[in-house]
Amino acid sequence: MTPVSVKLAWREIHSAWSRFLFLFFCIALGVGAIVAVDLFAVNVEQVILGDTRALLGGDVELSWRRAISDKGRTVLDSLTDRDIILSHVTEIAAMATVDSPHSQTASQLVELKAIDSAYPLYGQLVVEPDLPNAQLLDPLQSGCGRSPCFGALVQESLLIRLNLIVGSELQIGKASFLITAVLKKEPDRVANGFSLGPRVIISRDALKATTLIQTGTRIQERYRLSLSDSTSLEPLMGELRGRLSQEGARVSSFRDAQPRLRRFLDQLNLYLGLIGFTVLLVGGIGVACTIQGFLTQKIPIIATLKTLGADSSQIIRLYLTQSLILGGIGSLLGVIVGVILHRGLPLLLQGIIPETMPLNPTVAPVLRGIFLGTLATLAFSLWPLLAIRHVSPALVYRQAVDHSQDMANSQSRLTRWRTILKRWWNDRAQVMVSISMMVGVTGLAMWQAHSLTLGLFFSGACAIAVLLLLGGTGALYRILGHLQIPQWYLLPHAVKNLQRPGNFTKAMTLAIGIGVMLMTTLTIVQRSLLDLIGNQIPSQAPSFFFIDIQPDQYPQFVDVLQQKFPDSPYKLVPVVRSRLTAINGQPIDPEEHKGQRNGWYFTREYALTTSQDLPKDNVLTQGQWWDHTKESDPDGTPGKPLDFPLVSVEEDAAKNLGLTLGSTLTLDIQGVPIVTKVGSLRQVDWGSFSMNFFMILQPGSFDGAPFTYIATTRVPTNHEVPLQQAIVAVMPNVTAINVGDVLENIGRIFHQLALGIQALALLCLVTGAVVMVAAISINRYRRLHELAIVKALGASRRLLVFSLGVEFGVIGAFAGLVGLGLGCLLSWSLLYFFFDLTWNFDLIVLSTGLLLTILLSLMTGFLGTYRLLGFPPLSVLRQE
Amino acid sequence: MELQAANQSVKILQNISFEVFTNEVVAIVGPSGSGKSTLLGLLAGLDRPTQGSIRINQTDITTLTETEMAHFRRKHIGYVFQAFHLLPTLTALENVVLPLELQGISTGTLRAKALLQSVGLEHRLHHYPVQLSGGEQQRVALARAFIVRPPLLLADEPTGNLDSSTGAMVIDLLWELHQQHGSTLILVTHDMSLAARAQRILALRDGVMVNETRPPLLSSGSEA
Repeated sequence: MTPVSVKLAWREIHSAWSRFLFLFFCIALGVGAIVAVDLFAVNVEQVILGDTRALLGGDVELSWRRAISDKGRTVLDSLTDRDIILSHVTEIAAMATVDSPHSQTASQLVELKAIDSAYPLYGQLVVEPDLPNAQLLDPLQSGCGRSPCFGALVQESLLIRLNLIVGSELQIGKASFLITAVLKKEPDRVANGFSLGPRVIISRDALKATTLIQTGTRIQERYRLSLSDSTSLEPLMGELRGRLSQEGARVSSFRDAQPRLRRFLDQLNLYLGLIGFTVLLVGGIGVACTIQGFLTQKIPIIATLKTLGADSSQIIRLYLTQSLILGGIGSLLGVIVGVILHRGLPLLLQGIIPETMPLNPTVAPVLRGIFLGTLATLAFSLWPLLAIRHVSPALVYRQAVDHSQDMANSQSRLTRWRTILKRWWNDRAQVMVSISMMVGVTGLAMWQAHSLTLGLFFSGACAIAVLLLLGGTGALYRILGHLQIPQWYLLPHAVKNLQRPGNFTKAMTLAIGIGVMLMTTLTIVQRSLLDLIGNQIPSQAPSFFFIDIQPDQYPQFVDVLQQKFPDSPYKLVPVVRSRLTAINGQPIDPEEHKGQRNGWYFTREYALTTSQDLPKDNVLTQGQWWDHTKESDPDGTPGKPLDFPLVSVEEDAAKNLGLTLGSTLTLDIQGVPIVTKVGSLRQVDWGSFSMNFFMILQPGSFDGAPFTYIATTRVPTNHEVPLQQAIVAVMPNVTAINVGDVLENIGRIFHQLALGIQALALLCLVTGAVVMVAAISINRYRRLHELAIVKALGASRRLLVFSLGVEFGVIGAFAGLVGLGLGCLLSWSLLYFFFDLTWNFDLIVLSTGLLLTILLSLMTGFLGTYRLLGFPPLSVLRQE
Repeated sequence: MELQAANQSVKILQNISFEVFTNEVVAIVGPSGSGKSTLLGLLAGLDRPTQGSIRINQTDITTLTETEMAHFRRKHIGYVFQAFHLLPTLTALENVVLPLELQGISTGTLRAKALLQSVGLEHRLHHYPVQLSGGEQQRVALARAFIVRPPLLLADEPTGNLDSSTGAMVIDLLWELHQQHGSTLILVTHDMSLAARAQRILALRDGVMVNETRPPLLSSGSEA
């Protein structure tokens, strides 16, 4: 590009920068959304990958969902000889109680963590006051009413819930504690969103004193290893996996610390990123409108350049340079928007994301944002720029004649389409640009989604949405064309205005419609899910779960319930925890299924129960329920001795595990393998909130195994606290889980998550509104001229406002109707295919959505035109 | 030459045939709407005839593609418009340099300055078109048309937007530059006194050539 041409490009921007203001906004919002999400993703990465050793708690972690076996102990002992430092942490859910002299005993479910003196191997435990762990946790001889008394570090939320302060006492199990410090940060715990209750950290001796750990107690044992420089990681991992393969241990290294959190945040970033990309695409529509409008005004200059001997490609390059400069400036503005949004995103996602997440802008997302913004500008301006080729240099002495209307009048619709398609197909450059644009958008979507399939799916969905939006708008036009518009004020004029060439009505509808579609989808999905959590709980659903009830506590538990809450229905079932170790004799290698879709069916811990009868909410789909009056094989051979205990498996689990009737399952129950045979498959209604199990065994199958009881009960809300206290007072080892609290917690997290996603979707709608203002402002001179003529003919300002109101109202209604329609379609597919929920027609959401869209369109429209209404008509017409 | 309008074609020019020789000055005259500007546009390759051919220095420009035509135009044809058509965002000097830059020649500034000096605008080099009078704008346009030393110069009512004294000055300059550069000059005008300075006059009416005359030779000085 030669200097004068660059000057020309720059000078044209300089002399008309205000015309590009909306182009800047369109790109800036799109780039802003992408940069914000990217910066957020990088920060998340920094936290998760930054100090992975601290996150895992060691170089290697061996974890068990039960007490360590003797063989496991031997393996651990052998490690200490090899210069490996060991730290032992136990996690367990427990009830903390406080005796209050003035009121009843208060209790709270807590996540208890017992640490040893080596903890933490990496990172730092932050407490207030900042004193050594040993001092804070050691048994205290004084200051506590009962002896022995231990120190406890608690999260602030526990202090608030139980109205305590540092120095207060609490009881956990059979041990007494003095709160010695407030826990501020745990190096091996990232986000606190998904917890059952506040964290309490105690010493290992204290845990022993609580006597909480009994046979079959739900427990998490973690042994963390810190390796010396001379020990290499991979061989050790291999060795440990081999030696502990039969011990039910999970062996992980710092390289795969926090896999679930990482996967969740990756997914979150992916969806936020795709919404950000959608914002950029909507902004692209604004770019295309602005460039097209700008070029219409530049036709005389283009014709002059052509008479001077410039060929079309030179002029396209010139204006492309201009667009890229504009896109570049817009992208730089976008970086500023992005950094601001990036600061806001963690506020919206509080509780879900790591508390200590840094907010440092990094270079890579910023560069990526500028690159994407410029590329989007390129893609969306190239299309209108191609029209330069059709500008005849003869326009320097002759006015252009628009033949499109002639064609529309003279040809049938089919012939017209055929002519348009033929012309389009014969225009090789147009075909190439169209293909490059599609490939480009798909490529960028793949890049954004980090997945070929998802990128392709996203682009396909985008294309379908655009086609449906345009098709829907076209259909609505035709309906409007056939309607008899009353000759009332300027109503027919306003409606006609919508269909005039160069009025960007379809672009405006598209830009706003996409935003409406996203918002509708998110709102409907969110409401359906919240409904599921909140409103659709069956009235018979239990209000409490009690876990870890020891077999000898059974009568005591029933006593308390029957005496104190005689009207409350209750149910107790025996439970053992187990892992699947083989199917049909083939051992299962957990490593093989890690990261696989639905691989967790192979690696998860199964809670097993026994039952004589088919549970009430379950439906048998295959096989037969065992007849407990006679022992028989499902094959139906009476009198044949029972080889293996029978198991009834939930049908989805059976499908994913590849089980059929007669398959054998080897289950490891606390180190003891039992082989079972699939006798039936069941359908389970998980939404019933009753106790449901993937696997139910024939009665007597785990006699002698270390089982506990789980109980459910339903009490009126005002009995919830007394019930919890009554049980915990007599059986301190029993953990009470309030279903309402858990659901409230899930609801809160979900709400928070939806808030973050919706904020970005709202940005899409805002960008749509900016596109609308941009499209209106492109035609402001023509509109000014028209308004001046209508005013000169005697139209009052009120009449003009009415006419404009109709025009913008109809655009809003179009965009709203089509966007809502697509939103319903998309939300239905999401609910049906992904969440397995039914879609409900929500009149309130839909009508509010439509009204809000019309209101948005009216406000945006008037924002773009209110100044035009004030111009005196003579001053406008005189400039002709 | 036919144009499509409102579903029917209008014949703008028909049965026109003439030759112009190197260094010749030809004036095309006729009333408004007779097709003068269209004829000039056809000669510059800005429009395409529906039938017939136009040869410039052995090249049939009607067979050239749009890009080939643009490249041909930038080297062989200079064009002066009635409405000047300067680019408003470029200075006088930059407007003059532009045709060279379109050819990829980036060293035309000195030559452009000299040309602007020869049209008496050496003190207006860095002014924008809006800062120049009509006469000054047309002089910049003259300099721009001559910067590529075109063998063929086409002028469409070059004085149409100017008062008579400024118009006369511009015409003198046009003749001077034509003589200096030895270009062939084809001029559209409805000013018969200006046409009389040409070596040949082609008269058009309703798209048909009605007359071809050779005016008596007059010295340019006596006309001024």
